[in-house]
Amino acid sequence: MSMFTYAGIILGVMVSIYIIAKIFKLSTELSMLAAAIAGGLAGGFRIPARHIAEGAMTYLDINLIFITATLFMNILKESGGVAFVVRRILKRFHRSRTLLFILLTLLLLIPGALTGAGSVTVLITGGMVAVVLNYMGISKVRTTAIVFIIAGLSAAAPPVSLWAMMTAAGVNMPYVGFFYPLLIPCVIAALLTIFILGWKGTGTDIEKAFEELPEPPEKMNWLRVILPFIIFLGLVFIGRQWPHSTPVIGLPLMFLCAAVTSFILSPVKVNFFKISGDTVEQLLPLIGTLTCAGILVQIMTLTGVRGLLAVSTVTLPVIVVYASLFFVLPVSEAVLMWGAAPVIGVPLVLLFNTIGLNPIVALAGMSVIWPLGDALPPTAIIGRLTVEIVGYKESYIRFLKACIIPAIIIMIIGTLMVIYSSELGFLTGL
Amino acid sequence: MADNNVYIRKIILSVLGFLLLIFSGISFYKHRHLEEHVVLGEGVTEVKKLSDYFDGVKGTINDCNIYILEGKEPGATLFVMGASHPEEPAGRLAPWIFVENGVMEKGRLIVVLSANRSGTTVTRLGGGYPPDYTIPTGWGEQKFRMGDRWANPLDQWPDPEVYIHYPSRQNLAYVDIRNLNRAWPGRPNGTLTEKTCYAFMELIRKEKVDIFIDLHEAELQYPVISTIVAHEKGHELAAVVSMVLTDMGEFNMGMEYSPKSLHGLSHREVGDFSDAISLLFEAPEPFLDATRGKTTREQLLTGKDEFIVKAGEHGLLFEKIDENGWPIDVRVGRHTSAVLMTMEIWTEEHPDMSLVCINVPGYAEVIENGIGYYLKDPFRANPERVIIE
Ligand SMILES: [Zn+2]
Repeated sequence: MSMFTYAGIILGVMVSIYIIAKIFKLSTELSMLAAAIAGGLAGGFRIPARHIAEGAMTYLDINLIFITATLFMNILKESGGVAFVVRRILKRFHRSRTLLFILLTLLLLIPGALTGAGSVTVLITGGMVAVVLNYMGISKVRTTAIVFIIAGLSAAAPPVSLWAMMTAAGVNMPYVGFFYPLLIPCVIAALLTIFILGWKGTGTDIEKAFEELPEPPEKMNWLRVILPFIIFLGLVFIGRQWPHSTPVIGLPLMFLCAAVTSFILSPVKVNFFKISGDTVEQLLPLIGTLTCAGILVQIMTLTGVRGLLAVSTVTLPVIVVYASLFFVLPVSEAVLMWGAAPVIGVPLVLLFNTIGLNPIVALAGMSVIWPLGDALPPTAIIGRLTVEIVGYKESYIRFLKACIIPAIIIMIIGTLMVIYSSELGFLTGL
Repeated sequence: MADNNVYIRKIILSVLGFLLLIFSGISFYKHRHLEEHVVLGEGVTEVKKLSDYFDGVKGTINDCNIYILEGKEPGATLFVMGASHPEEPAGRLAPWIFVENGVMEKGRLIVVLSANRSGTTVTRLGGGYPPDYTIPTGWGEQKFRMGDRWANPLDQWPDPEVYIHYPSRQNLAYVDIRNLNRAWPGRPNGTLTEKTCYAFMELIRKEKVDIFIDLHEAELQYPVISTIVAHEKGHELAAVVSMVLTDMGEFNMGMEYSPKSLHGLSHREVGDFSDAISLLFEAPEPFLDATRGKTTREQLLTGKDEFIVKAGEHGLLFEKIDENGWPIDVRVGRHTSAVLMTMEIWTEEHPDMSLVCINVPGYAEVIENGIGYYLKDPFRANPERVIIE
């Protein structure tokens, strides 16, 4: 049997089992696990314990970041810090919608840009920005779309863009020259998103907002809110500035330090252990999805399904590759998450390099499109996280529809960056 | 009733989870503790430890063996390093053949088989790698640990959000902080990987190494393949070696200059931070290609893969591939021949500092007899001459 038939059959089995599991109302994570195990069995690997365990560990670090960052945000919320900040921002800036939008866009772009993870944006500033947007008269569904799209862009924004870094590492290209090719499209697309989706909202009803907003504890002040962030950013800064004289402590521990600071500074008594328990419970579906996505990718790689998808993508005619980027990249992200960079990104960048495009600008263009897939099943990690944090309760499809206009703009920007990458080569400054 | 169901479901899932823990745990433990035997050839005059050169790696998993083959007559010193990337088996098996067979007539050879020893105890998360592979020999099979490109997180964790290389401060992807070939020249109080590189730099300086060769393999979709990457000090040597190898018609060997802007790589930093000439050899390893099909031991050792052939038909590869694949014997043979040729050309240019090695098979011989022919039976050898790698 040829490898194409073999991998094709396994892909078919995995997709069918996933659909059947979904029909039987199994959760996304269990459906992925079922598909992975079925793939292993169909491929003649029986139940490969080693590969299941190894795959499950793929996103361990990201899971730890999720847990510690959310714990930090939950403590901040519980101590009244979030309500305090929202009230102050509204009071100070409610007259100028434009200024507020620019300020909120910055708030959303910074955490993800620094850490490379859109989830961190959603967790750190997403919730707060959403509250402000709501009081600016923007519907919940549009608010969710704004937070999601800009969080995705923040992940692609420099200095840390994991897709660009991992793909660059995969083709042994130094991660240099990416700053402007990533920054410019991200900032433009983020501003377009917030203005297009937010402009039509009713005026800011400051009276009503203040009535509805929870009253922060009396002793709450800027210092108590900002100090934990300063601790976090300070630890990141120290690691960047003196990388060779400070120990590597990793993002999870940095978030934990911020959480503890916030706990100590809280003007009201906060139950640390209860919040910790609630946080893990809140995140369990996401952690489960990431863990099972890791298993799925591992089994796909083991059985050659991953290779089938990769080789099918890169052997399409170049015009078709260009025309399908807007579709292939988000879908690969939805299935593989960052795994999409080595699987699809590396062969595509090598293909672009071979046909004479500028690999840096082309990769930057791809990096802008990739995060759109974070709202799509099977994983839909950031999309679901955003829905959760913003507190949007209606249909997920409606949320996706709200994302369409900015998504199309981003797809066009990214695709044009790939096609005209040679002409845009000056952006790299190399 | 519903509560009861949840209870039963939780018990069943816990039991399944526990079974997964046991079975995968056994596999991980066996992999990390798989003992590989090295039968010292008659040419090996001394076996040292990396910590003999730098105390900082003593007691760590990266305190690897240093095999020294002192020549009968004095000459230059050549250092050949394997398993800088432990997921590239030919880069490990070629120096293995030198240790078990080689005899230096002139000059001195230093060999390392597990440069990133930590990386030989882990496989790629999400990669589906086999934990080991076996080479058939005349006396049975010899089993080797398969490894990863990066050190085991059990030995070095957590990673930072971005890896800032020492001393250039170049920003690299965070995982590369565990990549031995991105950590050169290392530093004495750094991460385990940086300390390991520093220890090798100390070795290179203290043993007055003249030529340093780092053995690798690469995916076919990667432009730097089937080539020598040379530091500017080694341009002439590498150019002649690649020319002669290619002209002899055995196999094509390219030659590339080590870019000045790429930091942390051995071909750049070893040359910059020591007196040695630094060279890096790449052989083709289809197993590493992102478009590979089924990930198996067989693919690792035969290099046969329909998907990669398809990618090649579309002009996406930098090395040819057909239905015969890239067998491990061919890849190892490229490395042994290239190392032997480096000694030969060097000796022609430096008759007063010769490097002459005998009993090591070249390209044609390795292919004809297979690698297994050159691996010695540890159970029939003098136990004092058997080392655990
Ligand atoms: Zn390598």
